[in-house]
Order: sequence, then structure tokens, then C-alpha cells
Amino acid sequence: MRGTVLRTLDSGLRTLCAAVLLAGSTGASGQAQTPSSAALMVFAASDVGPAFSQIVPQFEQKTGADVTLVLGSTGMLAQQIRNGAPADVFFAANESFITDLAAENLTLRQTNTLYARGRIATVTLKSAGLRINELKDLADPRIRRIAIANPQHAPYGLAAKQAMQAAGLWQTLEPKLVFGENVQQAAQFVRSGSADAGLVARSIADTSDLNWTLVDAGLHAPLNQMAVVLVRTKQTAASISFIEFVKGTQGRLVMRQFGFLLPGESF
Amino acid sequence: MDFFPIWLSLRVALLATLLTVVAGVPIAWLLARRRFPGRDLLSAALLSPLVLPPTVLGYYLLMLIGSRGAIGRVLAGWNIELAFTWRAAVLAAAVGSFPLLIKTTQSGFESVDRRLEQAAETLGHSELSIFWTISVPLAWRAILAGTVLTFCRAFGDFGITLMVAGNIPGRTQTLPLAIYDHVQANQLDQANALSLVSIGIVLFLMLAVGRAARLRF
Repeated sequence: MRGTVLRTLDSGLRTLCAAVLLAGSTGASGQAQTPSSAALMVFAASDVGPAFSQIVPQFEQKTGADVTLVLGSTGMLAQQIRNGAPADVFFAANESFITDLAAENLTLRQTNTLYARGRIATVTLKSAGLRINELKDLADPRIRRIAIANPQHAPYGLAAKQAMQAAGLWQTLEPKLVFGENVQQAAQFVRSGSADAGLVARSIADTSDLNWTLVDAGLHAPLNQMAVVLVRTKQTAASISFIEFVKGTQGRLVMRQFGFLLPGESF
Repeated sequence: MDFFPIWLSLRVALLATLLTVVAGVPIAWLLARRRFPGRDLLSAALLSPLVLPPTVLGYYLLMLIGSRGAIGRVLAGWNIELAFTWRAAVLAAAVGSFPLLIKTTQSGFESVDRRLEQAAETLGHSELSIFWTISVPLAWRAILAGTVLTFCRAFGDFGITLMVAGNIPGRTQTLPLAIYDHVQANQLDQANALSLVSIGIVLFLMLAVGRAARLRF
């Protein structure tokens, strides 16, 4: 009797294996159809999202390459890379995550490049009629919730925290904080009216629905945004040329427009 | 509008449902009809994806199938990549929806009149034959209901998929992940359109199958 049960399970498992193989084979043919299997996989911190959505098409037009842009918080993307995500090149929002990946021999160290230095800005919804001129305005009781990216794994969240601490406002403001998974989500909290103000990347603040004010860069550790080519890539040359493009004349024009500078640069 | 996430989600949900039904129906039958050591533990373990945080499931799944995980390393030896491919999305969706199939189907098997199966047994039918010719035909409504629920749950998986399949546009970005990205990028029109598609597909399926087979969900 037990033998029959096992046989039932066995035939079930066999069918399961067949189904998995089937799934595998349809997958192979499915991937062959899409050109994206040879695309350059660019993993980038979400603060560069708006800038890269302009730079990527320019790069594709110039080189004929096909780029897939994957956005997320630097920490989450680093974790995915660690676990085998198919990234060719990684644009982080700071240095420390790149250093960690390098220590695990996942990056091509000689390709480490500072591609931008970021700034943070306070944002409010234009339609809400609240204007923030300095950080201490965030203490205003009309501002009940302040959105920042999660400081644990999002560099811009950490910079926001550091700025509040440096301005001596951390005790006052901490109870009002809400965390986004990344800086784009923090901005979304403000746009949707769920948070009354936000401390986010300058690069995503300049949209028609938001008022924004730059925060003094001296209040937080420099947001040195580093890019690196990953060891697993089969497209080293294309990866390097994309980094060079971001740093090059065309790329800089866009990056500047979104408030990114390189050391020594000014508007 | 980019239709890729819709097609991908349909394909992922279909394959996940296939896997879940093939593996789940026999297990549900065992749970309904047999007493064996570890049965309660198995039952609880199979139900757990319904109540565990998707992050817990996603995390452990990634630890298993990621490039450093036990399964991931074995697969890498065979040149098969699972994590951060659409196949990982199938696995994620299957794990998340498995309990729905098990619970629905198990209660279907339990409501089959036991005496019919016993009668067949006295007439010399094997267990396999009883399963196919008596239990399954009598419980088909429950199996179908479970299958539809499984598909709908698989179609909507977010948390587990995000962790094990990533969020790669054009490759692993399923419908729920695309909606998440559109909301974050403040593209609310696209987010709305895709959300409505998602609600429409699920409601249509439940109503259409429900009416055709006279099911109640």
C-alpha cells in the first residue's frame, strides 16, 4: 500500500521534472527572441534615474548598444549583485557599497570611477503651499511627516540623517520620519501627499509638482557616487564606454542639469 | 504602453500554476487521506507561505538559489542560471500560491465520500487507480477552484519575486513590479492602466470560471 503511495508521488515528481524542463526550454527560445539577452545591464541607484533616462537613449543612439536600466536603492542592488544578478556595470550612490563588493572580488577594481557628486534637497508639494528654506523649517508643526530614503541601505537617506544630526535637529525630527525603500519612493511619499516634506536627492527634486531647496553640502559626508564594472560581465568594453559616456561631454551636460557635479566643477 | 510585463506575468503565472497543480494535487490527496509520520508538520509547512512575510520566503529562496546558495551552485555547475531570471519568478509565484491550491484541494478530497474509495479498494483497485478514477473526478470542482486561485495569486506575486527575480525591465519585471516602478517614477497613468489590467484579468477569470463551472470562491 505504501508502495503505491510512493509510486503516486514518484510519477508526480517525474511530471514535475518534465514541466521544469519544458519551462527551461521555452525560456531559452523566449530569450533568443528578445534582443535584451545581449543588452548591457546597468544597475543604478535610483537617484540617477531621471538623468539616466535621458543619458541611456543618447548612448544607445551613439553606439548602437542596447541598455537595460535597473533602478533601486544602492544597498538592495549590491545585495542582488552579490547573489548573482546579471549586472554588467553598477552605478552606486556612494563609495562604501562598491568597496564592499570589491573586497568580495566581484568588481574589476581598475574600473572604479567617481562619476558624480550628489547633493540633497528639501522638497514639499507645491500645491500644499509650504515652503522650506532651511532645515530648521522642517520642525514646523504643520509638517507632520518627513520622508527620507532608508538610511540603513540608501546613501541619500544616510546623508539626510547626517544633515539633520549636524544641524542639531535629529531629536526633533526623528519622530516625524518615514522611510522609503529608496530615494524615489521617499519623493513619491511627498508627491502623493502622504508626507508633508522630504529630504531627497537634488537630482530627483526638480519636477513641476515640487518646491525644492538645496541643503548645505557641508552638513553631510560627500556623496561620492562611484561606478564600477563587475567581474561577471562579458561586455567589459561596452561597460567602460558607458561609464566614460556618463562622465563625458554629453553625459555631463545632463548630469549637471540634474544637479550632479564632479569635484572641481561648478555651475 | 509596454505590454511585456503583462505577457511575462501571464506566462509566469501559467507555468507556476502548472507546477503547483502537478505537485500539489497528489500532496493534497495524501494530506486528506493518509496518516503518516510528520503529516502535521508537512501540512503546517505547506501552509506557511500564506502567512510568512514574503521577505522571509524571498530571502531564504535567494540564499538557496542565488549564486552562493546550495542549489544555485549546483545549477551553476550545469550552466543553468535561476536567480534573477524569469524562471526564478515562476518559482517565487509557485511558492507563494502553493498553500491556496493545497488547502482548497485538500478540503475537496476530504469531502469525497470515503465509502466510495473503500468500495473500490475492496474490489482490488490500486491506490493510483482510486486516485485517478474516483477521488479526482469527484473533487474536480475543488481542484479547479484551487487552480484558479493559484493562478490569480501567482499572477500577483510581488515580494518574493522582487527578491529572487530582481526587477529587470524586459526580463524579470512582472506586472506587479512594473506597477511599483511606475508609482516610484511618478508615472501614475501607466501605474493606473496596469493596475486596472491586473484587476480586470483576475476578476474576469474568477467570474468566468466560477460561472462556467458553477464554483463559489
